[in-house]
Amino acid sequence: MINFLLNTQTPLVDAIYHLLGFDGFIGTIISAFLAAFLIGNIMLISAGIAGPWAKRKITALFTDRIAVNRLGPFGLLIIVADAVRLLAKELIVPEGVDRPSWDIAPLILPFSALLGFAVIPMGGPLQLADPETGLVFVFAVASLASMGVVIAGYSSNNKFSMLGGLRAVAMNIAYEIPLLVIAASVVLFAGSLRLSEIVAAQADPLIVIAGIAIPSWYAFVNPFAFVLFLVANLAEIGRNPFDIPEAPTELVAGYVTEYSSVYFVLFFLGEFLHVFLGGAIIATLFLGGPAAPISSLSFIPGFVWFLLKIWSVFFFTQWMRAAIPRIRIDQMIEIGWKGLLVLSFINLIFTAVLVGVIA
Amino acid sequence: MSSAIIPVKKDIIGVSKNGTLDYTKLEKMLGDLVLQKEDHVNAPAFVIRPDAVEETLTLLRDEAGFDHLSCVTAQEYEDRFESIYHLRKYDSPQHELGIVVPSPKNNPWNQSASSVFRTADWHEREAYDLVGIHYEGHPDLRRILLPDTWQGHPLSLDYDQNKPQIIALQEHENPLQNNVEDNTMFINIGPHHPATHGVLHLKTVLDGEHVVAVDPDIGYLHRCEEQMCQGLNYRYQIMPYPDRWDYSSAGLLNEWAYARAAEDLVNIEVPEYAEILRTMGAELCRICAHFLAVGTFALDIYGDFTAIFMYAMRDREIVQSILEDLTGQRMMFNYFRLGGVVWDLPEPRSEFLSKIRIFLDSVPSGIQEYSDLMTSNEIFQLRCVDIGILSPDVARQYGVTGPVARGSGIDYDLRRDDPYGYYKNLDWDVVTKDGCDIYSRFLVRLGEVEQSAKIVDQCVSLLESWPEEDRIIQANVPRTIKPPADAEIYRAVEAAKGELGIYIRSDGTQQPARFKIRSPCFSNLSTLSEMAVGGLVPDLIAALGSLDIVLGEVDR
Repeated sequence: MINFLLNTQTPLVDAIYHLLGFDGFIGTIISAFLAAFLIGNIMLISAGIAGPWAKRKITALFTDRIAVNRLGPFGLLIIVADAVRLLAKELIVPEGVDRPSWDIAPLILPFSALLGFAVIPMGGPLQLADPETGLVFVFAVASLASMGVVIAGYSSNNKFSMLGGLRAVAMNIAYEIPLLVIAASVVLFAGSLRLSEIVAAQADPLIVIAGIAIPSWYAFVNPFAFVLFLVANLAEIGRNPFDIPEAPTELVAGYVTEYSSVYFVLFFLGEFLHVFLGGAIIATLFLGGPAAPISSLSFIPGFVWFLLKIWSVFFFTQWMRAAIPRIRIDQMIEIGWKGLLVLSFINLIFTAVLVGVIA
Repeated sequence: MSSAIIPVKKDIIGVSKNGTLDYTKLEKMLGDLVLQKEDHVNAPAFVIRPDAVEETLTLLRDEAGFDHLSCVTAQEYEDRFESIYHLRKYDSPQHELGIVVPSPKNNPWNQSASSVFRTADWHEREAYDLVGIHYEGHPDLRRILLPDTWQGHPLSLDYDQNKPQIIALQEHENPLQNNVEDNTMFINIGPHHPATHGVLHLKTVLDGEHVVAVDPDIGYLHRCEEQMCQGLNYRYQIMPYPDRWDYSSAGLLNEWAYARAAEDLVNIEVPEYAEILRTMGAELCRICAHFLAVGTFALDIYGDFTAIFMYAMRDREIVQSILEDLTGQRMMFNYFRLGGVVWDLPEPRSEFLSKIRIFLDSVPSGIQEYSDLMTSNEIFQLRCVDIGILSPDVARQYGVTGPVARGSGIDYDLRRDDPYGYYKNLDWDVVTKDGCDIYSRFLVRLGEVEQSAKIVDQCVSLLESWPEEDRIIQANVPRTIKPPADAEIYRAVEAAKGELGIYIRSDGTQQPARFKIRSPCFSNLSTLSEMAVGGLVPDLIAALGSLDIVLGEVDR
């Protein structure tokens, strides 16, 4: 099939190709589009539910409230109402913004997140592409988001936006290196950068307790790395206690201050997609991807498990948001460079030693 | 409570052996500086020359121990202008002294006190702004409540209220921007900003994210409260207005400030039963106000509408509904009357009192919850401990009072030190912490909620057992109140944010000739640059949150 990238497999495209009985190059292109459309929409729907509805409901649970309950069952139709509300608003373009970069910035954020999902194995054939360098790819496109944030901050011609953008850069540099180093320790275990192989490597049972086999998910194999990754991921997606690029009480809304209407929706969407992409990376690297936790539950499709895992990570971010104070920018940089980076290298070295001894 | 009079150091002039103030000794110390002695209802006052302000106040501060300039009142008479400096001592607030500085009608001026007390800076700016007295030697004599382009001084006698004012929009400039080398950035934090707790405008100069200078620009919520009160009668009309100063449900505390000043002015004795009702209501208000302070502070530190904020709101709501049952209103209580309160407890009494008891029983676990979620949280401590330092000396210089002063280790609480109401008969403690930082202020507020609950508990016990025939809620007060002409009084109470003082001068009519409000938030806010300069923007926001200002009271 298509093999643009070196040694890339395209399970979902192949599946659609065969299902619809296509033939030739045009058929491949159409199946590729259909596959991308499918994956993109699954994630957009997730973010669509998460943003206007689940976020409110989860926060309400933590704060003794009820939240939206008027429109539709459990207030679910608030999603429609919110969409209409947000899209119907006037797009205010402030004087002195730097166009077209001001218009490009909101596109980069959701774009980079959606691109990241292309290589995530979601169970069964639900994986758009499976390149040999999948892990590198997903981190590379996820970091594009910081570029969008910086462009937004710089082009808005607003001092609060500017500060927010600069904070975002400082934060991303400080946290993406530990993130990658921790991910590298997983690669040492799995012996591959291909995400499907990382998932497959976690399938073997780790130990058997009372007849139930605990799979060798890297969260169980190396909980230290898992916790480190969770923390670094919170910074990567900019959620409490690391929501400092936006920091509503300090910087009004940070880099989104000057955006309204559709552009604001794009930022909003992009942020939620990034939370889910972070969840997807965590699920793939540490939670066995789409695998069921115990084999007797594997009759439930892998895709359901995958969604469950990324939503759990989303729930975790909302929990942090409700309970943990925001950390100060300089303290955060300090924790990133002096704490997490050191710990992640220690983790890497120990993992290397461990893998070397076992192997 | 322990005795209100605290033994003072021997070398302080003007204090007799039994701890009371000897004004003849003070007069002797000041010598020629005193032109005349006036008698105000609260304390005697010395009249001095306009060019002797600095010398007199320095002597009084250094030799006689008057380290607290609580208020500066300016006013215009038919024949002269006058500034009054109300002095007190942090150690013994019952030692009061007024310094009266008359100045000529055609050229109102007097020496500024800002070199002696830094708090005079803002107070004199306000006096200049509203009355029009010029303070010689003031470092920065600009308008403070009104816009810079305002014409005239609204509280002066010849001010034309009907004249339209044109307020031009001016862009704020970075005072340092011409100096390209230093790379600073001017940023307007507010007047519309999530962390300013209302309409406060902080003109901030940043170097990177470090605060180089911050100048609070206030007055956006100025509603001419002083002038309005000057047009209303003592007996009925003024009382609803104090509710609108500190409107964060601390209404009864404000009403008490006016009630205390007016009652002392015309010698009204409040029945004991009414004093208990007042004390209980006021302490419930304090709990309410402190819960709001805790909640909004959490908002500043945590970022979003988080659990703490909602918990604080939930707990506050219980108190709010109790107050609603008591007064009939949720915010604008209007419950006090001169000589007592407007009505007794709602019937059935036992049901109402048990509602309070149920709330009081939940207070300790509530405080524990806040401690678990906030004060013991390490990130919270990272953000609060040793941040926003306000040393006791600086705090005294700025006339800081209330939880902010007590967080800096200044043991100053008018409920104990200048007793009023029923406090002296109850068992409670003044909470102080020595940290001088944001964290201490927060702990003081939590501690005060506990102490207030203790006071309310004792009040409820008293009310439960109070004989039915003795439930007198109001003294006999004449329908019209006309204090003697030229009677002057300054009286303060311990409001939620600190010393809330009222100065009233009567001209023999039913309405005050001058009604001046000494707002604790106003003085507390003036310390912001002391706390924030050198820190980062998040520290500035946290320091502002820890001051717990209410702009309704700052701007009046």
